[in-house]
Amino acid sequence: MKKIIVLLIFMILLSGCGQTKNEVNILNWSSYIPDEVIRDFEEEYNIKVNYNTYSSNEECLAKLQAAKSGTYDLIFPSDYLVELLIDKEMIQTLDKSKLTNLSNLNPNFLNLEYDPNNKYSLPFLAASVVIIYDSDFVDGEITSYNDLLNPQYKNNIVLLDDQRIIIGLALLALGYDMNDTNEEHLEEAKEWLLELKPNIKAFDSDSPKTFMITKETKIGVIWNAEAGLAMNELDNLKVVYPEEGFNISIDNFAMPVNAKNVDNAYKFIDYILRADVMQKIIEEYPYKNLNIKTQELLSDTYLNNIATNVPDDYFKEGIFVKNIDEAIINYDRVWASIK
Amino acid sequence: MNRNLKFICLAPVVIYALILIFFPLIYILFISFQTSDNYGGIIYVFTIYNYIRIFDPVYLKVFFNSAIIGLFVTLACLLIAYPFSIFVSEKKPHIQKLLITLVLIPFLTNSLIRTYGWIVLLRKEGIFNTILESLSIIDNPLSFMYNNLGIFIGLTYTLLPFMILPIYNSVSKIDKKVIEAARDLGAKPLNIFFKVIVPSTYSGIFNGCIMTFIPAIGMFFIADLLGGGKTMLIGNLIKNQFLVSRNWPFGSALSIFLIIVTFLLVRLYKKLGGKLDDLGGF
Amino acid sequence: MKNKTLKNLFIVLVFIFLYLPIIALIAFSFNDSKLNIIFEGFTFKWYKILFTNTTLLDALKNTLIVAVTSTVISTIIGTLAAIGLYKYDFKGKNFINSLLYIPVVIPEIVLGISLLSIYTLMRLDLGLITLIISHIAFSIPYVIICVRTVISSMNWQIEEAAHDLGAGDFLTFRKIILPEIVPGIVSGATLAFTLSLDDVIISYFTTGPGSNTLPLQIYSMIKTGITPDVNALTTLIILVVMIILFTSTIVQMRKIKKGYQV
Repeated sequence: MKKIIVLLIFMILLSGCGQTKNEVNILNWSSYIPDEVIRDFEEEYNIKVNYNTYSSNEECLAKLQAAKSGTYDLIFPSDYLVELLIDKEMIQTLDKSKLTNLSNLNPNFLNLEYDPNNKYSLPFLAASVVIIYDSDFVDGEITSYNDLLNPQYKNNIVLLDDQRIIIGLALLALGYDMNDTNEEHLEEAKEWLLELKPNIKAFDSDSPKTFMITKETKIGVIWNAEAGLAMNELDNLKVVYPEEGFNISIDNFAMPVNAKNVDNAYKFIDYILRADVMQKIIEEYPYKNLNIKTQELLSDTYLNNIATNVPDDYFKEGIFVKNIDEAIINYDRVWASIK
Repeated sequence: MNRNLKFICLAPVVIYALILIFFPLIYILFISFQTSDNYGGIIYVFTIYNYIRIFDPVYLKVFFNSAIIGLFVTLACLLIAYPFSIFVSEKKPHIQKLLITLVLIPFLTNSLIRTYGWIVLLRKEGIFNTILESLSIIDNPLSFMYNNLGIFIGLTYTLLPFMILPIYNSVSKIDKKVIEAARDLGAKPLNIFFKVIVPSTYSGIFNGCIMTFIPAIGMFFIADLLGGGKTMLIGNLIKNQFLVSRNWPFGSALSIFLIIVTFLLVRLYKKLGGKLDDLGGF
Repeated sequence: MKNKTLKNLFIVLVFIFLYLPIIALIAFSFNDSKLNIIFEGFTFKWYKILFTNTTLLDALKNTLIVAVTSTVISTIIGTLAAIGLYKYDFKGKNFINSLLYIPVVIPEIVLGISLLSIYTLMRLDLGLITLIISHIAFSIPYVIICVRTVISSMNWQIEEAAHDLGAGDFLTFRKIILPEIVPGIVSGATLAFTLSLDDVIISYFTTGPGSNTLPLQIYSMIKTGITPDVNALTTLIILVVMIILFTSTIVQMRKIKKGYQV
């Protein structure tokens, strides 16, 4: 009996570690790449994908730091996180000669400020934060963040659960810079958010569209793709790019230093850059597409909706989140006090 | 030979207790006195700033809210579990066994999925609202969740077995003859209840309260899922320090603070005559 | 008589409260619609789909590996420890004893974070191994408590008698002590197993790539949208739990009933 138990433990332990499998360890946003796309990759390349998710850039960084260096082979950080990871020497330079589908990428989104010449990263998808509302519920129109303060919207708004974006939105509403670190301005932002609080039903970054689709909320400040998906389900939803300005982000492929399965990670990037694969991703999660070849394959529903296919001139107006160093402590205070 | 057996029995547990309990907690204590680099790293400079920061009104409010919700949940569990245990203990022994097993079954299935079950019941277009509306009891759907009520229901539900089991254990140990004797001597039912039954179950009550209150303030996922991320409990605050604000030292200081609160509660429990072995023993 | 009806009513109400969400989940596992909102028709299709959902089945596999391994190891260490701590004295025994209560009383999140921080410090690969170690860490004290309860009510004179009759330590242990404490070991192991199956918080912090467990998978699915095959899986799990528990309960009930009638 004892022998059997010991044997069993050893077998389980061995199956758990020991072997060096043909695999790739990916850390990505939740709701970003459909399961089907990953299964197809596994089948086509005979590589096992170990897939973990996060719901904010901060969580991505935390998971990267908590795990031993080399745990993850491929991550999808946004612009400001890429900048930080380069600065902290946590990601490696990319060997673009290993990618055959590189030319598919829209050149307008290459060589941006956060990673000049794309030494360390390549863009995957772009996103914007938009307001979406039920036009039957709202009298007139919503055009700005300040419109959300209307007491009639009590308990009817869903916001992203992201402290930088939401505090940034309050700063924009007050006419300040989205990345302002001035303590008085942050105090005003806190007051603004406290005024908004009675109208907030929930904070959710993972699937805010569900709140709109189940009519739990009538107004949302959510990712553009989530807005697009909600609009596919309900007819009376309207999308707005607020007049005070709005947040945009570009999520990127990047490989942490000491990644163990570098070649498999390149294969995965190259696979994702394929026009047909990107098409599948965009159809399921309609963020702003950055693949020129895929653009020709997309449906009119996608192309004609400004929530999903964010027009380039809109995108240029958008504001990136920037690193703010020690001011993060003040942001944390504001966040704790509005919750 | 005897030494050999002693070694086999004790070596693993000593190693375990030192490496997986003592050392991690000492390490957390150590980190709580270091400085954060604001990017998830630790700068090894001694500071007590992290402890001072706990007393910032903003964070004290989080502690206060958690304590309030924790107390309400504990009280609700107690008010359900106590009469329940007494009524069950009046049944025949084999029926008692069956009923307690029935309490255990939900407890043995995944707590997240049961939380999801509540979402299905409580949401705006959920089962409760649909039934109430179809019976014309209400015109507009009620908000059962995405507020503190949702957190309260979820926590009470999840933690109820932790209250029922210790209380049932202590109630079922009461000697029925003492109650009969009291009745024969002409004591009124209410007097019997407060003077005889309740005092002999103090340790069970307090045991249940500890096993309910402590998890209640630490369970971040119920506040996330049923509270709509609007209410921050201590568990959420600590989780945020590690996963969002990238401030391990402050998160560690909060953890140490929580451990101290826990120990004070356990001390109180021991003073009231409770045995440590009964905690968590089902 | 009226009093008794009220009491029974209260018991029934508590059970309705306990079972309501579970019944809702089971009902929706047979629902034709993909959304768990309105019941549209009866179907078994989610049970078929469940067995093609590799993400979910992988998570189930990991959960079972972690639960079985951590239960076996923590039961062995815990049982030995309970005996050792009862029989022998040594320097620092009180210290070890009080350390053992810590995982039971401190909030899980603190234990999860402290374990994560030493894994980071020791540069361990986060994955199944760290998950198993963490689950062992929170299970051992529960096993010790369960076994200790039995040990302290045991008749230790038998052991002495065995010694007097010439039995060695290991023989006494195997033939005399072990059979006596089996009920404690079984309840400790059951508790460890169920705690491991259900753990979200500690796993959340100590997991790594390729070691998703069922509770973690369900957590992320609840956030991004759950599909009814999860309901189907839950229904099956509840069924298994019920069968196991009820068989053991019915056996015990029979024993109690016999004793009661005599």
